[in-house]
Formats: sequence, structure tokens, C-alpha cells
Amino acid sequence: MTRVTYLLSAVLALPLTGCVTLAAPEKPIEINLNINIKQEVIVKLQKDAQDIITNNPELFPK
Amino acid sequence: MTRKTQIITLMASALLVSAMLSSVVHAQSASGVSAAKAAGIVGEQADGYLGFKGAPTAAVKSEVDAINIKRRAAYTSTAAARGVTVKEAAAAVGCQTLASRVTEGQAYALTDGAWHLKTAAPITLPAYCAQ
Repeated sequence: MTRVTYLLSAVLALPLTGCVTLAAPEKPIEINLNINIKQEVIVKLQKDAQDIITNNPELFPK
Repeated sequence: MTRKTQIITLMASALLVSAMLSSVVHAQSASGVSAAKAAGIVGEQADGYLGFKGAPTAAVKSEVDAINIKRRAAYTSTAAARGVTVKEAAAAVGCQTLASRVTEGQAYALTDGAWHLKTAAPITLPAYCAQ
């Protein structure tokens, strides 16, 4: 019985030793996804954009 | 020549003259915008529309406004077809006009709205433009 109790408390105490403290960074983390998403869309629209220009020359005077 | 033929000929020539006149007017207005572009008064913007760097004449302003309305219609249909926003479709065209359709001495505006004059060097395009 006591042996089992010892073992149990040892197992229960295990997570306590493995604690990692996380400190919040001083500066906020900025992830600018906006630019990448937009570039992807623009790349996809490249041919359409070219078509708009060539098919409507009167809208794109020199 | 019968009377009927005469009438038809008259109507045909009237049509021809009116067609010629309208094409002249059209050419004039388009060259008005071109001249304003050459003068650095009107220029291409990164947002895909024409804008004013200087003060245009009333005729040039109305022509530019009309072009921008038609451009917006074209961007809107492309946006709907591709499932993107009108702004994105317009910006995609803006990338291309800035990349290859602005000649030296013409004005152009970047995303911040600031106007620049095109030099011999290529325009530094917005980061989202496909390079």
C-alpha cells in the first residue's frame, strides 16, 4: 500500500518538474498576411488584367 | 435615278457624315486625355484608375471620369468572374499600367497617393505586384 502511494505521488509530481515558464514578448508579434494573400490574387489576375487593357484600348489611352 | 434611290443615297451619305463627325469628336476627346497625360496633368494610379496630378480642363476631367467609370465596369465583371474584389481586379491592372504603360515625363501615383514623374528608370511597383 505505501509503496503504491509513493509511486502514485511520484507520478503525480512529475508534471510539476517539467514546467516551462513562458514570458510574453515585449513587442507585439506582427504577422502581415495581407500582403501575401494580395500578391497571390494579383498573380492569378495577371492575364485578366492584360486582357482588360488589350480589349479596351479606348479606356487606356497612351 | 428614281426618287427612292435618291432618298436612300441621301440618307446613306447623311449617316456617313455623322459617323465621321462622331469619330472625329471621339478622337479629339481621347487625344485630350493623351495630351493631358503627356503634360503630366493626368496620370495612371496604382489603384487602376486615372487621376489628376494637376488641374484639368472641364473637357478632360469629364473624359477621364467617363473612362474611370468604364474601367470600373470592366474591373467589376472580372472581379465577379474570378471571385475577387473589384479593388483587387483594379490593382492587378494598376500593376500592369505602372509597369509598362507610363512613359517618360508622364505622372503616376503609387498606393500612398503621392504623384511622381516617370524617369528613364522603371517604376518601383507596389510590393503586391507580380514581378
